[in-house]
Amino acid sequence: MRARALVRLWSIFGEPMWIIVSMGFPVLSSLALSLLYYSIGATNYVGFAVLGGVMVAFWGNVLWSMASQFNWDKQEGLFEIYLTSPASITAILIGMSVGGIVGTVPTAVIVSIIGWVLFHPVVAASWGAVALTFALTLASLYALGMALSSLYLVYGREAESMNEVLQEPVSMLSGIYFPSIGSFSPFPFAVQIAASLIPLTLGMDALRKSLFYGEGFGAVSFDLFALAILAVVFLAGSAYSLKALERKGRRDGTISVRIR
Amino acid sequence: MISADHVSVEVEGLRRQFKTKSAPVVALDGVSLKVGEGEIFGVLGPNGAGKTTMIRILSTLLMPSGGSAKVMGFDVEHEAEKVRRVINMASGAEKAGYDFISAKRNLWFFSQLYGIPGEVAEKRIGDLSERLGLTKYLDRKFYALSTGYRQRATIARAFVNDPRVVFLDEPTIGLDVMTARSIREFLQTEAKTHGRTIMLATHNMAEVEAICDRVAIIDKGKIIAEGTPEDLKRSLGAPALVMEVSPPPKDLEMLRQVAGVKGFTSSADEERGLSTVQVVVENDSAANGASAAMATAGYRVVASWRKEATLEEVFVALVGSGFKEREEEGGP
Repeated sequence: MRARALVRLWSIFGEPMWIIVSMGFPVLSSLALSLLYYSIGATNYVGFAVLGGVMVAFWGNVLWSMASQFNWDKQEGLFEIYLTSPASITAILIGMSVGGIVGTVPTAVIVSIIGWVLFHPVVAASWGAVALTFALTLASLYALGMALSSLYLVYGREAESMNEVLQEPVSMLSGIYFPSIGSFSPFPFAVQIAASLIPLTLGMDALRKSLFYGEGFGAVSFDLFALAILAVVFLAGSAYSLKALERKGRRDGTISVRIR
Repeated sequence: MISADHVSVEVEGLRRQFKTKSAPVVALDGVSLKVGEGEIFGVLGPNGAGKTTMIRILSTLLMPSGGSAKVMGFDVEHEAEKVRRVINMASGAEKAGYDFISAKRNLWFFSQLYGIPGEVAEKRIGDLSERLGLTKYLDRKFYALSTGYRQRATIARAFVNDPRVVFLDEPTIGLDVMTARSIREFLQTEAKTHGRTIMLATHNMAEVEAICDRVAIIDKGKIIAEGTPEDLKRSLGAPALVMEVSPPPKDLEMLRQVAGVKGFTSSADEERGLSTVQVVVENDSAANGASAAMATAGYRVVASWRKEATLEEVFVALVGSGFKEREEEGGP
């Protein structure tokens, strides 16, 4: 687990240009939305946009460096090396997650600093709740990444298209740009329920409450509980589906995409 | 004969069938073999013969459809976890490394998949790198390594966990002569000095002749011959007939009609305007018949001589057509 986390960190920090490139989308989307809110006088929402930029950095990392990683490993022949070793595939994925989280922190910090310096969003934080919510959101988000990673093994190069398909709709539904659940949500109730299955939705909701409205554990307890459940479900789902896919792959001969 | 105590790989009636859209394809059809400890065992065959399928079953990447296979006494189907602790594998076609980290860090990472303590891993990586001539390049990022050094790193990876059995699939494919030779020397030392069993799937005859203790020739999922390279060459009996023929023949079908001709290969020398035809013959009369058939077909035999059969000629005799022809056909 530690070794895989280190590989991720060495890869990210070994290529400074990579960090700069990965900052592009979160910084720009956060700036664009902050400017929009700022220009129409909705300054209360500027903080949401900055927070959205921070979280979209992690979501991008989950999609592009977690979900599609094993598929990429499979195409490169690295997945075979994992499978023929005694290492636990779930441990490798957890290591990948830890490395991904730590590796994305610089992007998240830069987005926060730029947002803070340019727009001075009003923060009235309940820091204990913010910290726990943030930790649980990342845990369940990366657990979702692990689950997607196992599902993407079924796909070939289509996995990248799947990422493209998921990125924007999930960003919109999960409330990265605006509140997508609760009384301010523009979505019908059924859509809000569906959106709540995405950890980012509940995480953003709870982070907004605890970071900008100072609400404590009591106010976000439902979100925290649901996030914890989602993390466990995705983690267990990922471990189960990886085992099942390995069995199926060994049976059907689909572990390698290279034609032999 | 390998004693039961020293068997590393034991395959009995191994069968593997793949479903395809048209009809099931039988990749392995009742293969049985035993490989002893410290032995380098070559699995030789044309593309699609089933050799990679066998390697993949033995390295737990694929389940057999029938029969059984054991590695160091562990069943590959039911005891895959135990098998994985004592094996490693590498393919000449694999990339096998993360581009943006150094070769050394890649090797360290792969050693950690086996839970090897840091200091032990460090020492082993240093030792393997030195023996493979990789030391100077260890700190280079993986993408910056040339094909040869990348392949040396891949071979080092396959030995980093101190495996008892190593499965290699075309380990020297696409490498220059010197790199291929240094890898072969390394493999020989690993087998003889450390008692590791190495199973080598390849269609490089020269490689098999150079380093393998024993060879199985596999075609269409069946083992058609097994023994030491010398045994196999001796099994052909009479030596091969080599003819330089002018003009280069378009086809050599006339040789198939000659009694006692077991197989043949040819290579054209356009500069000299002739072809070198090697014919595996059963006896002198077949050799004479082959020469006569060429002349009857209108080709001039510029020179001819007899030589000991090579493993390639053994293969041709057993499989029934030249390698190049098979490859051009895209395998069976």
